[in-house]
Amino acid sequence: MTSATQPVVKLGLQLLRGPAGAVLVMTAIFVVATLAFFAINGREAVSLFQEMVMGAFGDSYSFSETLVKTAPILLTALAVALPARLGLISVGGEGQLYLGALFGTGAVLAAVDQPGWILMPLMLAGSMAGGALWGVIPGLLKTRLGVNETISTLLLNYVGILLVSFVVHGPWKNPNSLGWPATIEFPAGAILPQFFDTRVHMGLVFGIVAAIVLHILVTRSRWGLGLQVSRSNPRVGATAGISYERNVLIVMAVGGLLAGLAGIAEASVIQNRLQDGLASGYGMTGFLVAWLAGQHFLRIIPLSVLMGGLLASADSLQLYAQLPKASADILQALLFIIVLAVASLWARRSNI
Amino acid sequence: MDIQLYNITKHFGDVTANDGVSLDVRAGEVVALLGENGAGKSTLMKMLFGLYPPDDGAILIDGRETTIESPQKAMSLGIGMVFQQFNLVPALSVLDNLLLAYPKPPFWTFRRLFHTSPRKAVLTYLHELAPGLAPDTLVRDLSVGQRQLLELVKVLNLDAKVLILDEPTSVLPPQEAERLWGLIRKLAEAGRSVVLITHKMQDVMACAHRVVVMRAGRMVQTLTHEQCTESSLVSLMMGDSNQRSAIEVTPREAFANRPPRISIRDLDARHGAQSVEDIRLDIAPGEILGVAGVSGNGQHLLADALVGLTPLARGEVIIDGRVLQSASRTPSTSDRVSYIPEQPAVNAVAADLSLTTNVALSHFRSLRFFPAWTPEEQLTRKIIQRYQVRPDNPALAAGQLSGGNLQKLVVGRELEGDKDLVVAAYPTMGLDAGAAHDIYQALFAKAQEGAAILWISEDLDDLMSYAHRIAVLQGGRVSGIFDPRECDRLDIGRAMTGEHRPASTQQPPEQKPADSHARAVS
Repeated sequence: MTSATQPVVKLGLQLLRGPAGAVLVMTAIFVVATLAFFAINGREAVSLFQEMVMGAFGDSYSFSETLVKTAPILLTALAVALPARLGLISVGGEGQLYLGALFGTGAVLAAVDQPGWILMPLMLAGSMAGGALWGVIPGLLKTRLGVNETISTLLLNYVGILLVSFVVHGPWKNPNSLGWPATIEFPAGAILPQFFDTRVHMGLVFGIVAAIVLHILVTRSRWGLGLQVSRSNPRVGATAGISYERNVLIVMAVGGLLAGLAGIAEASVIQNRLQDGLASGYGMTGFLVAWLAGQHFLRIIPLSVLMGGLLASADSLQLYAQLPKASADILQALLFIIVLAVASLWARRSNI
Repeated sequence: MDIQLYNITKHFGDVTANDGVSLDVRAGEVVALLGENGAGKSTLMKMLFGLYPPDDGAILIDGRETTIESPQKAMSLGIGMVFQQFNLVPALSVLDNLLLAYPKPPFWTFRRLFHTSPRKAVLTYLHELAPGLAPDTLVRDLSVGQRQLLELVKVLNLDAKVLILDEPTSVLPPQEAERLWGLIRKLAEAGRSVVLITHKMQDVMACAHRVVVMRAGRMVQTLTHEQCTESSLVSLMMGDSNQRSAIEVTPREAFANRPPRISIRDLDARHGAQSVEDIRLDIAPGEILGVAGVSGNGQHLLADALVGLTPLARGEVIIDGRVLQSASRTPSTSDRVSYIPEQPAVNAVAADLSLTTNVALSHFRSLRFFPAWTPEEQLTRKIIQRYQVRPDNPALAAGQLSGGNLQKLVVGRELEGDKDLVVAAYPTMGLDAGAAHDIYQALFAKAQEGAAILWISEDLDDLMSYAHRIAVLQGGRVSGIFDPRECDRLDIGRAMTGEHRPASTQQPPEQKPADSHARAVS
């Protein structure tokens, strides 16, 4: 080794010990694990992997489909990350998403004859109110009665999903749908704007803007400082005049509101109606993304895109390679375990 | 059993805790190890008890060099230690606690065969030392003195020939301390040796045969009991730092005829099993009201209720004519009320946030929505410098500092700015004398600026020296209010244990607080 290359090598090693090295190792392990998974299934591993990447990011259509899936993941991840900044573990993104869709749809059905400029704000307001409600209920249970928020948000997910199921099978069922459990189609005024002739919609913009605003508020503002203090030592927060109870309600409401927006966007743009099986597990994916990102709002954005890509390519895997639909879940699980394991390993090494 | 410590040296990082210390303890002797906090007394004894190995030097037992690598080894040699923090299970009875600490005899010994029941064995010393204590009493119902006795019995049950007691009187009211001194003398007469770690003159004068004075990790001098006078001991302990500037308190004339700055009226509060009842106290601007009492008699709850961390069940707290807290309102804290809680490292800082952030918390309400951090950092540097907080980097997370340094930071933070009331709970506990001196100076300077001070302490000496009045809390009630100029320590002690009401406080529940105030300041 010449003396000229030595500093370069040193710098490279230093980078490897930092987060860049962690990401590199995570990616390498994930690629190998995915290849192994394909091989176990008796497929041509390398070409199938290429297929998968192309299915997510290969051309403008597949990338647009990735972004379509990114929006609800991003929004539900924010709905988890914000309460986590106060030390709350909410798993309620899914239920809040359903409630947002439910209340938003309610607004649409109530004002179905109104023009778009009335209908659209009503629909969005309804969805935000619904999602916020599904966040505030566990928040109130927590502050008033000390009910563990993880349990209550988890259970309210089922209530939310089944409420939607109830209305689309019952009172809101479209009489002309020949038994198919769904509401009537949304009028044109209730369809969120989309971009570039694709299904990429306003929900993605809401998500990105929310992530940036929340990042600034939480890291720079007095309110964000209050969250940090309350999470670190609630007694100290109380002494400084920071109301933990009020902040619990705020973060749960704002989180729920964002997940609610994801719900109405799915109903409005993707399905044009409210129906069963609206979200197909976005809430859970969002939860995992939030934890992968270490509850960091800006890191959530690229991770949501990555996860959206994984879900989008799973559709094409199912189509072209006849792999079962569950393979997307398996790959997702592999990714999470690898990322969490490598991240912990790196954190531990840097502590020594 | 004779013990010799020879030339013991111990470093912790850059700090030299013991520097070539030699000490011998003979059978039947009470040796007092006297020194300020941080002088290295506990470290030396913890090495004898096998908690840390010495870096250099030797331990000789009956003339033979011995390595004591663990407390188990120390106990098997007959060395027992009673720590400041008790190691008892509150939910279990006295008997159960004793049985827990009693080793099962190994299977090959005759002791096992001829053993009478272990119950009887563990209770022998208990009956001897505390005949009145029923073995089925739950430990949580015991007084601090009784708990300490129980710890002592635990050690005696292990057949200890050498007993090390770490600051045993620091938590005891005066008359319990006297009982302990008697007990120590009795143990010595029975041929055991006792090492008494202490920073109190009274302990030394009362029961030590010999005094070893330590300062800054070194042994300064050994004196026999006859050679000791309190003043000679003080100057040996303090060394050059004896010339510290005096701590000034507000002259009584300054507030003698002023209306109270803070008035606590008929205050009741409850939290879990703790409660305080019927608290009526007035504090004038500039006045230092000491609160004495055995820990756990409501001090914590009273402080929390005053500053607005616990709702009042009854009564109100008035500050300059305005209601600060009342039973009919949600409690709220104020930037003009300072609170130095006990264990500041746990109760007063957010451990994962920076020192600057932790300092800014004292005036959180007046921060801008997007706070400007430069002035906060300057303020933090100022506090760090004034109170010698180490390490001195304001960007460090609070959790990276030791408890003592965090305590200094919290005191500095809470005494910054204009304050109407300062509630300080044990503000100097665990700090060395220099730091404690600085903190007292700063705290009492706040009083001279016109703040009312409510100062909770367990150190009767300090309370008697600086407080204008001393209120004693017992069982959640004020059991007496004393003027330190004209009262006896034993009166305070009796009020602390609630043995009987001393004459001066027979009427307080009916007496108006203002009257007792007037009496104390006149």
